Amino acid sequence: MSEVISGIPLTERLLADYALRREALHSDNPMVQAWRDKAAEAFRKNGFPARKDEEYRYIPFDKFLRDLSHPLSGPEKKHPLNTSALIDPEAPLIVLRNGYFSPSDSRIEGLEKGLHIQSLQEAISSKNTTALAHLSGISDVESDPLLSLNSALFQDGVFIHIAKGAQLSKAIQIFQHFEADEPTLIQPRVLVVAEENSEANLIHLADNDQSTAAFLNCAIEVCVLKSARITLSQVFNQPGLSATQHTEAQVHRDAVFSHYSFSLQGKLLRNTLNVVLGESHCEAHLYGFYHPSKDQLFDSHTLVDHRMPHCQSNELYKGVVSDNGTAVFNGKVYVRQDAQKTNAYQSNKNILMSEEATVNTKPQLEIYADDVKCSHGSSTGVIDPEQLFYLRSRGITTQKAKSLLLQAYAGEILEQVPTEHLRLALTDILHARFSI
Amino acid sequence: MLSIKNLHARVEEKEILKGFSLEVKPGEVHAIMGPNGSGKSTLASVLAGREDYEVTEGEIWFEGKNLIEMAPEDRAREGIFLAFQYPVEIPGVSITNFLKTAISEQREYRGLPPMEPKDFLQLMKEKKALVEIDTNLTNRSVNEGFSGGEKKRNEIFQMAMLDPKLAILDETDSGLDIDALRIVATGVTRLKRPDNACIVITHYQRLLDYIVPDFVHVLYDGRIVKSGTKELALELEEKGYDWIKKEVAAV
Repeated sequence: MSEVISGIPLTERLLADYALRREALHSDNPMVQAWRDKAAEAFRKNGFPARKDEEYRYIPFDKFLRDLSHPLSGPEKKHPLNTSALIDPEAPLIVLRNGYFSPSDSRIEGLEKGLHIQSLQEAISSKNTTALAHLSGISDVESDPLLSLNSALFQDGVFIHIAKGAQLSKAIQIFQHFEADEPTLIQPRVLVVAEENSEANLIHLADNDQSTAAFLNCAIEVCVLKSARITLSQVFNQPGLSATQHTEAQVHRDAVFSHYSFSLQGKLLRNTLNVVLGESHCEAHLYGFYHPSKDQLFDSHTLVDHRMPHCQSNELYKGVVSDNGTAVFNGKVYVRQDAQKTNAYQSNKNILMSEEATVNTKPQLEIYADDVKCSHGSSTGVIDPEQLFYLRSRGITTQKAKSLLLQAYAGEILEQVPTEHLRLALTDILHARFSI
Repeated sequence: MLSIKNLHARVEEKEILKGFSLEVKPGEVHAIMGPNGSGKSTLASVLAGREDYEVTEGEIWFEGKNLIEMAPEDRAREGIFLAFQYPVEIPGVSITNFLKTAISEQREYRGLPPMEPKDFLQLMKEKKALVEIDTNLTNRSVNEGFSGGEKKRNEIFQMAMLDPKLAILDETDSGLDIDALRIVATGVTRLKRPDNACIVITHYQRLLDYIVPDFVHVLYDGRIVKSGTKELALELEEKGYDWIKKEVAAV
């Protein structure tokens, strides 16, 4: 771990790190070099988002980034890997320790046919043609300062390739393990390429009872090629964790991408999810559940970009906000001029459990095509007093009645989770959490 | 069992009950009838403990305990059951889970051990037959998408499962066709025992053809203005409420 150099702004320190490691990061590949240089340059220009940046207006980055160090190498300490009830012991497991792919902790022997898993840095240095072809092709590294930062400086991560026609019955699990007793910036990247007609469920988890001082700036990119069906479930459930996560999915013709986001525990959780419906007849389904409580800030920014005709998108995000917690939901739906016959639905619902709880919700539809069906709605309220009274009138305590109602409320999202192990484990976690 | 003395209650700033008194003994069925706006539903709400209703004067005793001080859940645990006029829909909470929770909470309050799952299932089976309710319905979320009749039947099903000492039926007949009315009323009649009691609040007499009351009371302008036997209900059906209003005005 590098020392904290006080007095020098973090942005400069990060750029200095980039200059220092530039050679190693490029792996003698001019394409990678040009791409990472572009990202570093964008970060140099923009720095961390300021409060006046509309996309990040609710996040006080200066507070979260204070005293952050940026390790140049993998973790030296070897804390035993924490077991998580969310991990399915029967399915493949990829462990990232402080963002570095850890084969010894992972469970990737005897993978199903058509599934290839490799350290991302290794995929780049060994000139894996598929990885290199998609590395710079999914998201625009200049579009977001945190994505620029990750693109310039990600140390490692994982490359997942699902071969043409492969139908994987077991979920692919990515588990983030942090070795960060001091505030530490951890920047892994996940690249997934799902070839034509493939099917797979991906799960990305940060789940630990132990508090961490890690600041995770993570990028996950998924290329869903023609007629592929890919789901991605993401769970943040670790106290103390700060995370800014950029997920970008590029969806091709006749393909379906479904995403499930659970923000349950952490200090700051920012989920940016961009789904580009770049060809016709494709679908996106986006579900989210968030529950910030004392001093927590959970922010979900989603974008569904309808670029071509005959595509569908469906989005439901629900939240419960307790104590003085803050939730942010910003849901953009673009329907571009060529995207005729689009069906796009979006809904955001919130329940406030305390007078100090805050929700900032902003649905944004921008429609430039004229033959489309689109709707959006958002609501924020309290637990329905009529429902509460009905349950109490049958002898159920207020506390228990609230717990039943919140479980039912979250149940609408939980029941969508495609993998059974994760769905049941999350149900247990929320059940216990609402029963307090 | 239940003793209500000179009850005054208001909702927001409006006084609705103005000196209501009633005595209910075990084994009795009391019908409370009255024109719209006389305070029938307010009475049901006050007895169940709805918080937007404020008791300003009077007393309510149930089995020697002061009901006014009691939370709604404790009233239920003491053995009071309200069949709602407008049962609320609760998406995502299954009837089975709901009743399992309610029964276990009530048993815990009474110092009883939790019910064995097989006993619970047996009880469900028995009571479903009693109110002729379908498993398709009990597997669904509480009242979600139910027809008016199904909602009312579900209220009586819950009553059968929870086995209260005192049941209050608030306009249970409203919105029911004649077949549903018969099923609901038959269910209530079968649940009758010498140690429990029932208050039937209704606008019309027709429910009382099935649930035969021991006493009929006429509620008007917040208090009981006339009491009698089941014949009083028939008289009201025939003559309407106007003659009662005139009688009250004449006093």
